Amino acid sequence: MKNGFVPQTLTEALAIRRREQVTPYGGGTDLMAEHHRAGTYLFLHRVPELTRITEDDTYLRLGACCTFTQVVNHPATPAILKEAISRIAAPAIRNLGTVGGNIGNGSAKADSVLIFFALDAKLRLMNADGERILPIRAFYKGRKELDLAEDELIVEVLLPRQMPERYIYHKVGARAALAISRLSFAGLWSVEDGKLTACATAFGAIEQMVVRLPEVDEILIGVPVAQLHRVRSQYLQAYSAKLNPIDGRISALYRKSVCLNLLEDFLDQIQSAE
Amino acid sequence: MSIPFTLNGTPITWDGSATDRLLDVLRAEFTCTGVKCGCNEGECGACSVILDGQLVNSCMVAMGRVWDSEITTIEGFRETEAFQILDRTFAETGAVQCGFCTPGMIIAAACLLQRNPSPTAAEIREALSGNLCRCTGYNAIISAVDRAAKEGCRP
Repeated sequence: MKNGFVPQTLTEALAIRRREQVTPYGGGTDLMAEHHRAGTYLFLHRVPELTRITEDDTYLRLGACCTFTQVVNHPATPAILKEAISRIAAPAIRNLGTVGGNIGNGSAKADSVLIFFALDAKLRLMNADGERILPIRAFYKGRKELDLAEDELIVEVLLPRQMPERYIYHKVGARAALAISRLSFAGLWSVEDGKLTACATAFGAIEQMVVRLPEVDEILIGVPVAQLHRVRSQYLQAYSAKLNPIDGRISALYRKSVCLNLLEDFLDQIQSAE
Repeated sequence: MSIPFTLNGTPITWDGSATDRLLDVLRAEFTCTGVKCGCNEGECGACSVILDGQLVNSCMVAMGRVWDSEITTIEGFRETEAFQILDRTFAETGAVQCGFCTPGMIIAAACLLQRNPSPTAAEIREALSGNLCRCTGYNAIISAVDRAAKEGCRP
């Protein structure tokens, strides 16, 4: 085949990745939209280890080349991930686009990546010699800058089975379908005996990388829901001090205002859900 | 090494670059000109085809991805009984004006009805949400698909 490889096993894929100068091709939707079709693609859709979803005691394991349609139809997929995926583009794109491709493209606007940050997912990377597992936050070094060696492939996304029970998800886009996020928010929490026992929030599409600040969410943990108003301004101020949205098609000022409004909604939602 | 695939039921071995776009190859080399190029970036659905039973935008597919796969375009779907029903209901409800989006709309509708023979209006809208039409305002298209489903269209 000219300018391409279609490996049938992971071993074969990793051997090609080491030997040749190739661009990994997951669903192809970002690569093909970029129009420059020079180079050589490593087509990964035939590799069984990359296209299946498995579960163990600790993780739901999404093969990096599972399509959005495949993930959204799987019974073990968390509801927040299903909701975010169902808002990505349109059915034809979701039939092609993959979770590994969404990550590997390196954009902070990737709608599934926001959820992987909020769930503190890990990535399993492999080369021909072995594997390493790292938190998704450590994988992103900057916009389009990833901790992925020339001979490595993203093999699996590991979603912790233990996760907060409730969530809210917001995608701010220009229209219902086929919208690139102008801003996105995921917030998850759990309440036990009237107290917040877990809280995880993340913002997408506002900075060069998805924003996830566990040290700020820590302010809420252990607080009785009935007393949330006491830490409300502390939480909002801590977030406000750390958020530095970039100017783009929409202004940094707009982005920051919407972020803080969404956090207010998030706190209201926690209180009204009890 | 060539790329083997099936196009509208016919086995093909294609000798070209794995990075070429399916859309370009279908139009230029197999005269499947019912597959339209609208936007080049997966936003309009005019180039919709069926890849191994699933709706995809052919502008978003490199030829290496179709290795050993089955492709159905409007030229292949046109030969089915299900097409005859959609063809008639689109005409009867006035769902076609300039016609540029229509092959993509029909292919997207076929993929929906294959999976879900009795869709709600909301499900039809969702299934066609990646297909843009600048003439009809969509309601006539939704009605056409709804009517086809009720008339037993089973792609």
